[in-house]
Amino acid sequence: MTLEGRRIVCDYGPVRALAGIDLHAAGGEIVAIVGPNGAGKTTLLRVLSGERRPDRGEVTLNGSRVSGSDAAWRARVGLVSHRTGLYEKLTAIENLRFFAALHGLARSGRKLTATLDTVGAGGLAGRRIEALSRGQRQRVALARSLLHDPEFLFLDEPFSGLDPEGAAGLERALAARRNDGVVVVLVTHDLRRGLRLADRVVVLRRGRKVFDGEAAEDGAAEILDHFTAGAPDP
Amino acid sequence: MMRELRWSWLIARKDLSLEFRAGGRLLSMIAFVVLAGFLFGFALDKSQVPGRAVVASLTWLTVLFASTAGAGRIFDMEEEDGAFRHVLLTPVSRRAVFIGKTVANLTLTWLITALSFVALTSFLGVRTWGSLAAHAAIFLPGTIGLSATATFFGRMSRHSSLGDSLLPVLTFPLLAPVMFFGATASARVFMALPWDEISGLARLLWAFAIGSVAVGAVLFHHVTDE
Repeated sequence: MTLEGRRIVCDYGPVRALAGIDLHAAGGEIVAIVGPNGAGKTTLLRVLSGERRPDRGEVTLNGSRVSGSDAAWRARVGLVSHRTGLYEKLTAIENLRFFAALHGLARSGRKLTATLDTVGAGGLAGRRIEALSRGQRQRVALARSLLHDPEFLFLDEPFSGLDPEGAAGLERALAARRNDGVVVVLVTHDLRRGLRLADRVVVLRRGRKVFDGEAAEDGAAEILDHFTAGAPDP
Repeated sequence: MMRELRWSWLIARKDLSLEFRAGGRLLSMIAFVVLAGFLFGFALDKSQVPGRAVVASLTWLTVLFASTAGAGRIFDMEEEDGAFRHVLLTPVSRRAVFIGKTVANLTLTWLITALSFVALTSFLGVRTWGSLAAHAAIFLPGTIGLSATATFFGRMSRHSSLGDSLLPVLTFPLLAPVMFFGATASARVFMALPWDEISGLARLLWAFAIGSVAVGAVLFHHVTDE
């Protein structure tokens, strides 16, 4: 199972956010997309997940084109964004129940609480989102993204707001998904965490890919060079 | 079909839960309706202008305000923490989202319509209990059309940097004829004219209601998907 972005170009008005990016991610692999602010990381994630149509290029799964207008594709995708996307006036479990129902899953309260438990948020089930801290909300958002056992998991700065315990729990959850054969694409500006967690790292700068390679420890210096602002564009 | 209806119901129920828990819109609309009825009740010289001559227009004005404000509010709640993008990333069809949001907006519009009808007829001293069924036959298609149109353009205005200020600019020219037909039909009911003189307007309102729901359902994905 290989998800591939081919020569992806995205523009926001006169600004070119992505300038012909090629990227692939295989099942059972965590790919970290890193880069400074404005590099195009979030836009690339949105294109890969099907949220945004590229202006040029395409996203394929095993060679067949996929897009966000295809409901069958959306059913296979999970997303964690830096905005949690939860309804403030609903409780954590009401949020999960709503999204589970949209996926056609009839989940009992016990099952939903169990899902919250897997991300260390079991005690938050009956609390409204507006009463939760940023980190607690992020855990509930992660639980929401895992509800339907997605085959493709896209995460945009998922560690923001998480305490060390929550971050460790998220890392464990991602590692477990990788072992289950899920394609995990992670956007972060935290290079060190990306290197530790991912199998492969893609570095973007100004909408261009400047590095794509294994996240081995001995490659860290090279990646770091590309990540810094002084690195030349290809 | 059943799945679409279920999705629509889930979205409508969620929107209504959020609205009732937040409470702000309903309270402000209730205050607006009571104040409007109270002011007009005192300001109008009923010996010169009978209440039944203006109550239809005032009620329809309130309904228009309620449905457009409601559509904006429903999408505000979605954008609070970016929830709508997660809804759109589920398999739910855009048609079901549109129908669900229209139903939620319509339910709230009906509440406001009933309230303003009671408040305005009471304050203006118009007796209407004998013709409630005829009024309902006019307001039902009118509010369906208004809510569907406001929901569609409410989402469209979210794509614009002008935001809420764009909503009346988009909707009011389109809704002006509907408001005219609705207010005219309601006024004829208040004047106790025979149904034959009203039924043509009611049919126009139904045509608008069916058309706006159908067009909105077909085109809604154009204002949601990027």
